[in-house]
Amino acid sequence: MTSAPIIAHGLVRHFGSGDNTVRAVDGVDLQVNQGEIFGFLGPNGAGKSTTVRVLTTLLKPSAGSATVAGFDVATQADQVRRSIGVALQDAAIDPLMTGRELLDLQSVLYGIPKTRARERGEELLERVGLTAAADRRVGTYSGGMRRRLDLALSLVHEPSVLFLDEPTTGLDPMSRLTLWEEVRRLNREGTTVLLTTQYLEEADQLADRIAIIDHGKIVREGVPRDLKSAVGAPTLLIDVDSTHAESARSVLARFGDLRPTSEGTLGVGLAQGAEAVASVIRSLDEAGVHVRHLELNEPSLDDVFAEATGYRLEGAETKSDAPAAGARRGPR
Amino acid sequence: MNTSLVNDTSRSSVVDGHGGRPLSVSGALVRRTLLRVRRMPAAFVPSIVMPVFQLIAFSGAFGAAVRLAGVKNAMDWYVPLNAVQGASFGAMGVSFGLINDMQTGFFDRLLMAPTKRWALIVGPMAGSIARAALPVALVIVIGFLGGMNVPGGPLAIFYVAVAATGIALVASAFALGLTYRMRNMGAATLTQFAIFFTIFLSTSQVPLSNMAGWLHAVARVNPMTNVLRLARQGLLGDITWNDTWGGLLAIAVMLFVSCWFALSGLKSLEK
Repeated sequence: MTSAPIIAHGLVRHFGSGDNTVRAVDGVDLQVNQGEIFGFLGPNGAGKSTTVRVLTTLLKPSAGSATVAGFDVATQADQVRRSIGVALQDAAIDPLMTGRELLDLQSVLYGIPKTRARERGEELLERVGLTAAADRRVGTYSGGMRRRLDLALSLVHEPSVLFLDEPTTGLDPMSRLTLWEEVRRLNREGTTVLLTTQYLEEADQLADRIAIIDHGKIVREGVPRDLKSAVGAPTLLIDVDSTHAESARSVLARFGDLRPTSEGTLGVGLAQGAEAVASVIRSLDEAGVHVRHLELNEPSLDDVFAEATGYRLEGAETKSDAPAAGARRGPR
Repeated sequence: MNTSLVNDTSRSSVVDGHGGRPLSVSGALVRRTLLRVRRMPAAFVPSIVMPVFQLIAFSGAFGAAVRLAGVKNAMDWYVPLNAVQGASFGAMGVSFGLINDMQTGFFDRLLMAPTKRWALIVGPMAGSIARAALPVALVIVIGFLGGMNVPGGPLAIFYVAVAATGIALVASAFALGLTYRMRNMGAATLTQFAIFFTIFLSTSQVPLSNMAGWLHAVARVNPMTNVLRLARQGLLGDITWNDTWGGLLAIAVMLFVSCWFALSGLKSLEK
């Protein structure tokens, strides 16, 4: 038996029946390895949250199978629940309760003895920086504080697998960075993390591997750098004196296809990847070309997304409709 | 701090392997209900005021009618009715609370807890008893102030409490079942509608002997008639097993059916 904490085979989840059937998750195959941060990337309505709800036992799969922490989500739901921590899309906390009261309640839900629950609560409050606000009603917390409390609640029972469903949606940049750092720290301590997001940067910054989901299907999966490399070579942009432009062009041509750029700048797609940058600079130096400015542009995850789906995710999160609406589809 | 706060699958967990103990979970949910009542008292006021208002209004408006039927004091007739009705109002609170939890996502947190499903039902049901305690007590006190007779002695009050508790449990389980299925505010409205009809199509206002036609036929088979007979017996005369067992059986059957309705509704959420 494989030891991967999350495995899904042909996972299907549909809603409704007959002509009104919506296949929110449509044959998802997934494997998240021990100690990994796995990013699940896609626009609203792509099937990310439904997949998470199936994997966290909130919904039964319509077809296919999945195991989390070695337990079947359909037939061993209780064991799965004991092994996972979940922070869902909207911080699910009662605004009338205080942070400490919520931690106490969460401890009862997981059967943690009272004295241990107290210690654990204090540890977690300190960790997420909410000790001072612990006895305030959650209704008075900022968005970032609520998210941090939600994260603390999901860690009460020391889960081996953590599901974070769009944990930074709606947060300001500072709160987002704080949460990212916390996720990295958890991961360093051994927690396997499955993170859904519609933010390309978030997936790029946090995830060891990502899967891009669109219309309920995984359309790309892999290490972000590999996925980006597969889309194409990185582009090296250089600014040189106009007197050296011709020599520079002939040097650059040895390293890949010259690419169109703005006036005064030369660009080349590095066939050997970013590793070729040092050789390019050496060659330009040897040719007597003085470089004023240099910039290496890697293909972005949005390029990967666009290549896989035919439309771009960048900016799509600001629109309310799912991609099925078609309005976001367009030429790359 | 640098201490590790998480485990991989091979390490032991703070969870003892059993998950949340059902009775502890139910108890925690009751405490949460009371805490919410304390912190949002305005939402609780109607469930106190309504039964008291109805007791005063009914005993004043229809007192003469029940006295014609041989009841000495209108309070003897209406205190049990309004105690039961007051207890049933808790079901509305259960339904609204659940809808709120569903909308905020808090209910997902409960659903993901490794505990027995019935604990998530028993918690709100027990919470509804706690919510009902004050209005029912208030109705009884006002009954005494209004000259309520208690020929059955303390046992008479005990049976009023048993009937009120039973109906609080039945109504809240029904409210849960309906809310799990509908998942919107309509469930609370329908709960209120169902409770009102069940109570008013029984001997709530006049004795069975004074009813005629279809109303008599419906009231005769309505289990609420038996529950009210159980609650009223000690205020109208002696306590007899004959007037007791029917009410207890009605509560037991309604409780069984409503709990099944709630549990199957809860399970349907995961389908």
